[in-house]
Amino acid sequence: MYTETKVTLVVIVIVLVALAVFLTRGCRPGEGTRNGSGKAGYQHLKWHDDGGVDLITFEDAEVIHLSKDELGTMFGRGKKPFTGKRIAVTVNNSGPKGGISGPLYRLRPAWEELTGAKLDIVEVPLAEQLNKTITDLRLGVGQFDGFMEGAWYMGEYITPGFIRPIDDYIPDKRFPQWDPNWLPPSLRNIHTWEGKWYGTLNDSDGQVLYWRNDILTDPEWRSKYKAETGKDMPFPTKTWQDVIEIARYFNGKNWDDNDPDTDTGIVMHFKVNEQGMFHFMSLSAPFVAMGGDKVDRGTNNYWFDPETMEPLIAQPGHVRALEVLYRLSRYGPRAQAAWDLGTAWDWFLRGKSIFVFSWGDVGALVQDTSRSKIRGKLGASVLPGSYEVYDMNNKRWVKLPQPNVVGNTTGGSWHGVISSRSENPEVVYSFYALMATKPVSLWNVNRGWTGVDPGASIHFLPPQGTADLRGFVDAGWNESDLRFYLKAYHDNFFADTMLPYLRINGAEEYWRALDQNLSETMIGRLSPKEALTRTAKEWDEITNRRGRAAQLKQYQRSIGYGR
Amino acid sequence: MHKDNRIKLLFLLPAVLWVLCFTIFPLIYSVRLSFFNVKIGSPDEFIGLRNYVHLFQDQRARSSALITLIFVCCGVAIQMTLGMALALLFNRPLRLRGILRTVMTMPLFATPIAVGFLFFTIFYEEGGLINGLLHLNVPWLSNPYWALASITIVDIWQWTPFCFLIFLAVLQGIPAHYYEAATLETNKGWSVFRFITLPILQPTIILVLLLRITEAFKVFDIPFTLTTGGPGTATQVLTMYAYRVGMRFFNYGYSSAISVFLFILVMVVIMTLFKKIRQTYQ
Repeated sequence: MYTETKVTLVVIVIVLVALAVFLTRGCRPGEGTRNGSGKAGYQHLKWHDDGGVDLITFEDAEVIHLSKDELGTMFGRGKKPFTGKRIAVTVNNSGPKGGISGPLYRLRPAWEELTGAKLDIVEVPLAEQLNKTITDLRLGVGQFDGFMEGAWYMGEYITPGFIRPIDDYIPDKRFPQWDPNWLPPSLRNIHTWEGKWYGTLNDSDGQVLYWRNDILTDPEWRSKYKAETGKDMPFPTKTWQDVIEIARYFNGKNWDDNDPDTDTGIVMHFKVNEQGMFHFMSLSAPFVAMGGDKVDRGTNNYWFDPETMEPLIAQPGHVRALEVLYRLSRYGPRAQAAWDLGTAWDWFLRGKSIFVFSWGDVGALVQDTSRSKIRGKLGASVLPGSYEVYDMNNKRWVKLPQPNVVGNTTGGSWHGVISSRSENPEVVYSFYALMATKPVSLWNVNRGWTGVDPGASIHFLPPQGTADLRGFVDAGWNESDLRFYLKAYHDNFFADTMLPYLRINGAEEYWRALDQNLSETMIGRLSPKEALTRTAKEWDEITNRRGRAAQLKQYQRSIGYGR
Repeated sequence: MHKDNRIKLLFLLPAVLWVLCFTIFPLIYSVRLSFFNVKIGSPDEFIGLRNYVHLFQDQRARSSALITLIFVCCGVAIQMTLGMALALLFNRPLRLRGILRTVMTMPLFATPIAVGFLFFTIFYEEGGLINGLLHLNVPWLSNPYWALASITIVDIWQWTPFCFLIFLAVLQGIPAHYYEAATLETNKGWSVFRFITLPILQPTIILVLLLRITEAFKVFDIPFTLTTGGPGTATQVLTMYAYRVGMRFFNYGYSSAISVFLFILVMVVIMTLFKKIRQTYQ
């Protein structure tokens, strides 16, 4: 009996040990994501005699040609400089064919053949990404070598020294070649910190205004508008008031013949704890942001007083902007109070709304006729402005002869940064740099599903940039839609005045407080003034808890105050 | 110690270790955290009761607690009533009873996260299943009151079968001669239910109530997937608020205080119900 028990115990112990080993092996980051790892029956590189190479993408087997110079001297036929190395990079969990993560899967096999290294793509839900990476970094685990970060994570990573500058790598001819000068100052700003580069070129986020060009330029609708309102249609729109006027007129009419139901003037996404607050940031910019050569409370500033860290979110400019946003929201579907980004986009793509203001993905998705009924009917421009802007220095409204048009980099501009704990920073950089080369970057931008939106000069058509129209047309773009789209983004990113970006510790927490109060406004529980006053109070609490002095110092550094 | 006893203890050890590691330790650690300002990677700072003081001053926490209470009270009351009604119905001879009973219990086996996403399409306001089929215009998810009703409806859909199954099991165990004897006294169904069925069911009702209340207080997945706590904060239950404060804003100390508060709240309810059970049995 006693021997039997001992045998049973030994068996239990063996099973437990085997289970532990199995679980430990299964916990390697990215181990479960090797499905985009190549070996799909073909090679992913094709070398040319001149030293150039064709990268052949995973699954699609599309060809991206890089010249010898673009590839960098480290790589060449038979060279595999990082053989035996393995890196793990985190990215949003959109899968092998989804935005931002998709391009990593497409390029991974070619990069692995090129370098001899292995790449683990670690997909993390957006809501958990910061937590997961910060916890890993703070505890010193270091299981990730790099992160495809949203720009608002930068403050969390920079101050404790969690990510590594790449200034030495960028000019290094050994690596794939890309040029930071392709980026306008607005985007350079969110890839750098106090002049040092941390991020590589990838995605460029900003919100622009999209509209149904076929309807707003239709003489019949224009004359109907005049007959009913007694005024000419204020189109092209210069101010948000113009957008409200047009949205109000078209809301509730069946102006689109795709279905027998009535359509709306605008569509937005206000689902709480998602991305509704970005609508407010972009729309409010012209009521608040004043450009100039300096940075102070009222100039090139938006979020906090750079002397005291007092929240500026409840200033009259911000409040008026929220009143405008609320009025505008009345001319969209009621359900948008609970809609996320994708649902709102889908509404616009189905031809149900005259306006939407959102990211570059919309322009690209419009071209996908499996989802969109409005290909070839798109118009786009930089977001409208305001004839009045609130001067936070002198605490008064300033009237302007021309609308104050303010560009924005609202969104994540998802780009790669390297963990300072990585033992293989060069390997990580080589992957990011490959993604940033002109041919690969253009390939991504040409194909909207990649989630990589245009922002660099190489993405724009001449005379603003150097891109080739054919690349876009071959990828399925309608030429009229494309020209509107690229001009809108160029005007946005190269605007004289930009909405400052919040990149300090707790940026997400500040934004979430704003988002919840914004949502309360949209369902009528709080007035704009109440919502923003409450937001300011909550921001103060967050600042106090995180340490006012430290937050202030970081805020000053992030906006370049005092430099 | 006798050898056999030592072997018994050895076999008990894994279970004891499991409970110590995964139940007792996290609980104690959570209580400890609630008295600290916690920053991962830095030493924890003892702040006494400050997190609890903040909890009672925090308007969002108060609002979440109220929402949780409404959700628990409405949801559990309806689940119990419906579960009882269905059990009584299925306790009679009924055609296709077996098949219907199986169908009735199916929601129990669905994953709450999947249920949340499923109901998102059902409650979709612009041509979703309910509004589209019935030509309604109900703002299921965009109106704060309807949104709270929506998550309650989903919870009722999922957990009524649990109440139904347990009540049915007990009902089928009641000897038939009780009812035969009762029919000699009265032919009123309500009186039979009131004086025969209900007293027999009473301990079970309290037990089911206890289990459902405990689970309902911990609801997270359905509001998380269906409404993400909105619109505004209309469906932000306490667990979701604790998650957000801890996992998204790194305020682990305060998040722990919220969890401890919820734990105490549930414990008070459970203790009260246990007391009631004890009285019933005595």
